[in-house]
Amino acid sequence: MTHTNASASDYAVSTHGLCKRYGRDTALDQVGLRVPDGAVYVLVGVNGAGKSTLFKLLMNLERPDAGTAEVFGLDTGRAGSEVRAQVGYVPDRQDAPYRSMTSARLLRHAAAFYPKWDHAYADHLTHALGVPPQQRVGGLSKGETRRLQLVLALAHRPPLLLLDEPTDGLDPVVRRRALALLAEHLADAPTTVLMSTHHVHEVESLADHVGVLRDGRLVAQMTREELRRTVRSYQLEVPDGWAPGELHAVELRRSSAGRDVRCTLVGEEQQVTQRLTASGARVRQVSTLALEDAALAFLSEDAS
Amino acid sequence: MTTTQELQGADGRTQRERPPVPRLRDVLRAQLRATGFALRVPVVLAAAFAVLATLNVVLGVISRDGVTNIHAEPSPLPGFIGALLPLAVWAREEHFGAGFLWTLPVDRRRHALIKVLAGWLWMMGGVALYALWLLVLALVSGGEVLPVESLMILSAPGRPSSPVDPALLQTVQWAPGLLIWAVPFAMATATYLCGSALVLGIHRPLRWVVGAVIVFAVASTAAHLASPLLGLGWLEGAPESVVSRLFEGRYGLEALITLRTWSLDTRATLTTGEVVQIWSAVPDLHEWVIAAALWTGAGLLALWAAASRHRERRA
Repeated sequence: MTHTNASASDYAVSTHGLCKRYGRDTALDQVGLRVPDGAVYVLVGVNGAGKSTLFKLLMNLERPDAGTAEVFGLDTGRAGSEVRAQVGYVPDRQDAPYRSMTSARLLRHAAAFYPKWDHAYADHLTHALGVPPQQRVGGLSKGETRRLQLVLALAHRPPLLLLDEPTDGLDPVVRRRALALLAEHLADAPTTVLMSTHHVHEVESLADHVGVLRDGRLVAQMTREELRRTVRSYQLEVPDGWAPGELHAVELRRSSAGRDVRCTLVGEEQQVTQRLTASGARVRQVSTLALEDAALAFLSEDAS
Repeated sequence: MTTTQELQGADGRTQRERPPVPRLRDVLRAQLRATGFALRVPVVLAAAFAVLATLNVVLGVISRDGVTNIHAEPSPLPGFIGALLPLAVWAREEHFGAGFLWTLPVDRRRHALIKVLAGWLWMMGGVALYALWLLVLALVSGGEVLPVESLMILSAPGRPSSPVDPALLQTVQWAPGLLIWAVPFAMATATYLCGSALVLGIHRPLRWVVGAVIVFAVASTAAHLASPLLGLGWLEGAPESVVSRLFEGRYGLEALITLRTWSLDTRATLTTGEVVQIWSAVPDLHEWVIAAALWTGAGLLALWAAASRHRERRA
């Protein structure tokens, strides 16, 4: 289920039939991602759904078995270095390179690769995120390493941020500070963000697009408004032996107690209500879902 | 604080100027700094060794009964350093995998080659210091900057049978000239290229080295057993012959790193009871030049192939 309102040229990131296999395991299967320019796109999926693999393919760190990927119109395979110049990347792993270098030295090293590196901004981020500049990278804690990775990704003010679980390993205080800095960053410079996270509620205020990866397939991709409008919780009163009929196709979650049924359904509310009524059910209440609940509904076992 | 520059497109849409990729000289400069940082431990060890060796020579010169008359001579040391240096250059890089190096905005194959170049430049600096050190020692100890060696050549072919009749020996003056000072640079370069190709192209080079030894042992044993059964006399010792040519042949590895001084000379006892160095031939610098060119060429080809393992995916 994918809905996009942008034309092809408006996409900062687009993939076409992207497939990646590791032996017999399929990490990505025919993924057609569309991230509009300027969007904050949140990618949701359980561990092993293929999120990190997708990021690596976009950075051309791995080679797809089929399909193509483009970043700002550049083929990631043919123009890998040009693509990476557009990207600030926070990888899923929290092991920083050059463990014997200090944080400050590593930042100076990275700066040489980005002609637009903003030294003052790097200093600001280092200070704001509490990265110890004179400490060796190998001696940094998991959280400090993550913060250093965030500085490395943001300091050259790239037009695209690929953030793979950017707040993973951060304590709640730093997590909040990091997200505030990200919000400031987005307000300062036009930036497209593609981020994966298990904590959608944390980025609810930033996110304007959501994609859901399940078992390597992009099962949903829509704007935040579409998601809120079309994924709703319905409280029903149903007759004995009630069967949802054709609604089964859009049923995501269902919990029942007696004749009361609560389910999460995808579709325009009016149409869904009409179908429910036609099937004999009485709609008692319809409620909107938080962004996280709406996105996670697609990960439910019985989501179709 | 700079912000990403924006341009207004003809259609009224905001078009963003693409951040550029870094200039190659900036990449080389950055890799020179990073590689130099990675090599600081080997450099400190080498400096400590040089200090100890210098002290030894100086004390010898002062006491006049120790080491004197130091001069340039074919030493395999730069060759060994060249072979091992790539391990230090690439020690901190996760070049097989999604390492930090590959996340940077530089063409991957080019980046790998630039890093190899950075390591080579450091090595050349080190070899230059080594040559300078030798030169200073030669001057301090009263040795010759352009040495002339007296070699005792055995006129009879084959290996000398002990004791050797001095009448069979002929003294020859060997004067390699200025080329002797180019030897450490060239041998270090050739072994560095081959070592870099191994480290960059093979995920676990030590396993391959061990595997090669095992394959050689198996092939040697199989040839030894199969030769009489199949009636193929040439098979007997064929693996050893191949390896021998590779290492001790006219243009083999030994020719590259010692000018064949290991295989051409031997210690022998004369009929007079004196123990001397006897040479079966004079080291041939022309052969060494060819060996150096062959090994350097092979190293460059292998390095290109190894770096190509990491190239960008092309459609």
